[in-house]
Amino acid sequence: MKILLKITVLLIPIIFIFMFFFLLTEKKPYPGADYKEFPIPNFNLESLYESEPLTNVDLRGDYIINIWASWCITCRIEHPYLMNLKNKRIPIIGINYKDERYDAIEWLGRYGDPYDKIIYDFKGLLALDLGVTGAPETFLVHDGVIVAHYQGEINNSIWSDVFDPIIKEKEMFK
Amino acid sequence: MKFILIILFSINLSSGTLYEFSSDEDEKRFNSLVKDIRCPKCTAGSLASSNAPVSEDLKIKIAEMINQKKSDEEIKSYVVSRFGTDSLYEPEFNKNTYILWLSPFIFLLISLTIFLFRKRA
Repeated sequence: MKILLKITVLLIPIIFIFMFFFLLTEKKPYPGADYKEFPIPNFNLESLYESEPLTNVDLRGDYIINIWASWCITCRIEHPYLMNLKNKRIPIIGINYKDERYDAIEWLGRYGDPYDKIIYDFKGLLALDLGVTGAPETFLVHDGVIVAHYQGEINNSIWSDVFDPIIKEKEMFK
Repeated sequence: MKFILIILFSINLSSGTLYEFSSDEDEKRFNSLVKDIRCPKCTAGSLASSNAPVSEDLKIKIAEMINQKKSDEEIKSYVVSRFGTDSLYEPEFNKNTYILWLSPFIFLLISLTIFLFRKRA
């Protein structure tokens, strides 16, 4: 009986050590990064500037999708990095999330427009189908399929840790 | 006095229901679903307790799906496919969660075995 008790006393910490070891060494470089693959959901919305209809058919090739709004403070912080991506010829599709059209256009006029196309999602319909919880969020898209999703501001280190490995693996933006 | 009465009545008039359902049954389903699904923006609160923009959108979507006669399972799988498995307070039973579900019974079995073993010894 005493042996059994000794074994149990030894076993419990060992189990905990293993549990924490596996939990802490899990390969997830950033909280907020997600690599679940799924196709771009069907949508039928308007563009921000011209109010022209935009659907899935208008999006082709490799690009990133960035959720932003003029009311979003973190988007302002993220903005210079997006301009930097634009200069590197990475196509960026903007989704203007729950924003006033006038405010959004003025915001872009003041700080610069890094986007190739901007989808005006006033009700957050497309954003909900994408699993967006707020702004800013960024998706990496390869041939119409989302291959990476990051919740929060993207910057150099997020790009190289979260997106770059996938971009290299899938040979994107060539 | 008149002014106060007008204000009181106008509040009464504008207090319609936010989500429209064809039957009480559907409304009950909605109320139980929003209690079972976690708000994607919160650490622990349910959709029912949350006014976050994304929770409001998700509630409208769930009401819409109920009116389209979608089943609870279809609605839950929609939410899980968008916001991950931790959206449900009660985890599904599958290959990733079986340890979670079965571990209490395994522990019970082990302790029972030890208990019986001790009795005999």
